[in-house]
Amino acid sequence: MFFHEVFGRVLTVESAIAGAVFVIIATLLVIAVVRRRATAARSASDRPGRNRLEIAYAIVLAGVAGFLVWFTASANAQDTQHASPAAATIPPQATVEVTAFQWCWRFHYTGRPVTVTGDCAEHHYPVVLVPTGAPVRIQLTSQDVVHSLWIPDLDVKYDAYPDHTNTFDLDFTRPGQWLGKCAEFCGTYHTTMDFYIRAVPPDQYKQWLAAQGGQA
Amino acid sequence: MNPPPSTTAAAAESGIADATRHQRPWLTTTDHKRIAILTGGTALVVFFAMGVLALLMRYQLSRPDNHFLSNQVYDEIFTIHGSGMIYLSITPFALAIGLYLVPLQIGAPNVAAPRVTMAGFWLYLFGAVIMLSGFSVSTGTAQSGWTEYTPLSDSRFSPGAGQDLWIAGVFLSTTGLILIGGTVLWTVLLKRARGMTMLRLPVLCWSVIATNLMVLGAFPALLAALGLVVFGRMVPSVFMNNIWNIGYQNLFWFYAHPVVYVMFFPFVGAVCEVLATFSRRRFFGYTGTALALLVFAALSMSVWGHHMFTTGQAADDYYSLTSISLLIPAGIEYFGMLGTILGGRLVYRTPMLFALAFIPQFLIGGLTGIMVGTPVLDYQERGSYFVVAHFHYTLLAGSVFGLFAGMYFWFPKMTGRMLSERLGRWHFWLMVIGTNATFLPMFWMGMLGMPRRVASYLPEDGIGMPNLISSCGAAVLGIAMLIFAVNLIRTLRGPATAPDDPWGGFTLEWATSSPPPPLNFQGTALPPITSYAPLLDQRERAAAQHGTPAR
Repeated sequence: MFFHEVFGRVLTVESAIAGAVFVIIATLLVIAVVRRRATAARSASDRPGRNRLEIAYAIVLAGVAGFLVWFTASANAQDTQHASPAAATIPPQATVEVTAFQWCWRFHYTGRPVTVTGDCAEHHYPVVLVPTGAPVRIQLTSQDVVHSLWIPDLDVKYDAYPDHTNTFDLDFTRPGQWLGKCAEFCGTYHTTMDFYIRAVPPDQYKQWLAAQGGQA
Repeated sequence: MNPPPSTTAAAAESGIADATRHQRPWLTTTDHKRIAILTGGTALVVFFAMGVLALLMRYQLSRPDNHFLSNQVYDEIFTIHGSGMIYLSITPFALAIGLYLVPLQIGAPNVAAPRVTMAGFWLYLFGAVIMLSGFSVSTGTAQSGWTEYTPLSDSRFSPGAGQDLWIAGVFLSTTGLILIGGTVLWTVLLKRARGMTMLRLPVLCWSVIATNLMVLGAFPALLAALGLVVFGRMVPSVFMNNIWNIGYQNLFWFYAHPVVYVMFFPFVGAVCEVLATFSRRRFFGYTGTALALLVFAALSMSVWGHHMFTTGQAADDYYSLTSISLLIPAGIEYFGMLGTILGGRLVYRTPMLFALAFIPQFLIGGLTGIMVGTPVLDYQERGSYFVVAHFHYTLLAGSVFGLFAGMYFWFPKMTGRMLSERLGRWHFWLMVIGTNATFLPMFWMGMLGMPRRVASYLPEDGIGMPNLISSCGAAVLGIAMLIFAVNLIRTLRGPATAPDDPWGGFTLEWATSSPPPPLNFQGTALPPITSYAPLLDQRERAAAQHGTPAR
């Protein structure tokens, strides 16, 4: 849920700034369109510019840009803490090796003889179980073309490359089930390359894992 | 002030006086205006065709689980819609604006190296035909998106000849556009009339300088990227190594972000000229705007990695810094545009309507651009309809509105005919409604989790309503474009009755006839070039002498 919280906070601030800028510029536009129309019979100004005002304005813009750069970089540092194994403070409770392929997903639980997969056809989507309460490490790769693992409701996305592994941590503070999608166009059945990620309490997760391992 | 030379003398000096008597046929012309009309006209035809593909996509997505188009056909259509619009329509149109107007605005008789420029048009045209001929191949045309990411575009995953034709087409047309961009840059830097100093160049010329610097700096990277794909199609094992896949993306975006501004700047320049002319005042904040355009172009070369935030293989914070910094030059451009209209006496002719609508609509594209330039937001928005909405606000709601502002404004200069104001207003209002109804809901779809480039979605995805609204908007856009087509055809069939300067223009192209003669100013003395608005200066001087108002 960590990506989701950071996303929500940053989106709120950036939307507020963007909204304010839009309102200011739209207001100036309306003032010009209404009050400076030719039928209001004014003469046009012949002032070619206002350099001091423009320089002051450029400094304000630079200040806004500076704030946004700092704000987004520090938010990204919080996210990438979860994306870089070295910086993680809590050890992960489970590691899942995710392999994307044309056109579905394979989830292998590291150190367990457990693999979840499917063909994503006719609504047969893989459901990957993860425990709540502690980070789940995802090691994402691809066996053919570039794909992208996206869980829209959790606001997280990482690309899957052949010959490269992207590692990041997800955390689930409550049980639930979320839809995952492929977000990088990967060919004919890209449209239906979905999966579900289901978070359950740790006990239930262990039981499930044991049951799966027994079958394997 | 330097006295202007007589242009007939200038033409005789360069030994091209003969050309003034013999207009060459269209297909071998060396007249920059004709080359520009051929390029822009081809781009406009492609624009209509790509618009039809867009309507097919919106019909497919108008309701959930629709199977009007198969997945494969849908993939071909979105690939060619994007490729056609970017490589074959908006970019060539943007360059054609500079090619048509720059020699006129700087008082030059022609573009530098006109035969090279014409070769550029032919390469572009052949490239367009070759790319679009992919539809005639039995395995279909290219279907890996306009980005053609490897390894998807290599011969293991996209074996058909359509993919090869796509590569050849993009390669040829981009090579042609580099030639056109280069000769126009050469013209504006070295072929200016006496008195036309750099700081007396109209704003449009500055936007063309910035554009063509990006063309020369960034477009070769696309040729290199395409070369890599060609190599990979011969030896597909290349793309089993990550370095070549991420390397392709770096090369590709090194081209593909600057090209976004190539597809934008000449239209901003057009909007600035239109705003000033119909505000009946010279452009406000000229120096700041010229500087902002150059800074923008320079920064554009450093932002490409913001398309790669989710790759896990890019320096996110660096690209976020350069991308967000773009708001400074963009803000300065808005300062000039708003200052111009706030101090003006506004006349609402069709070009002005399009230019005014550009201001808030492009702003939506710019503000959401900061959001997608923010890594933690991009982890959600990348590859979703949010991005589709964002870049259509910049390209359609921004650039294409600028395109139409310029089209209605300079059409009488190009053809000697005025487009109908009445049809123009219908075109404008339907386009405003259609554009916003089509693309505003897409922000919402993206937030709800709809990925790009999907041929269908399910009822339980909960995105049926915004998709339906969007498709209705697309239908309105289609009607608006039909009205424009009717306006264009009716006007071209009518008599050439437009005056030389129907709008009270400020720049040199309005001092010659409509349409201008082959060498632009032959037989007309160039007015003295005293600023970036020489005709306004002339009127002001005349008014001061006679004691009457200038505007």
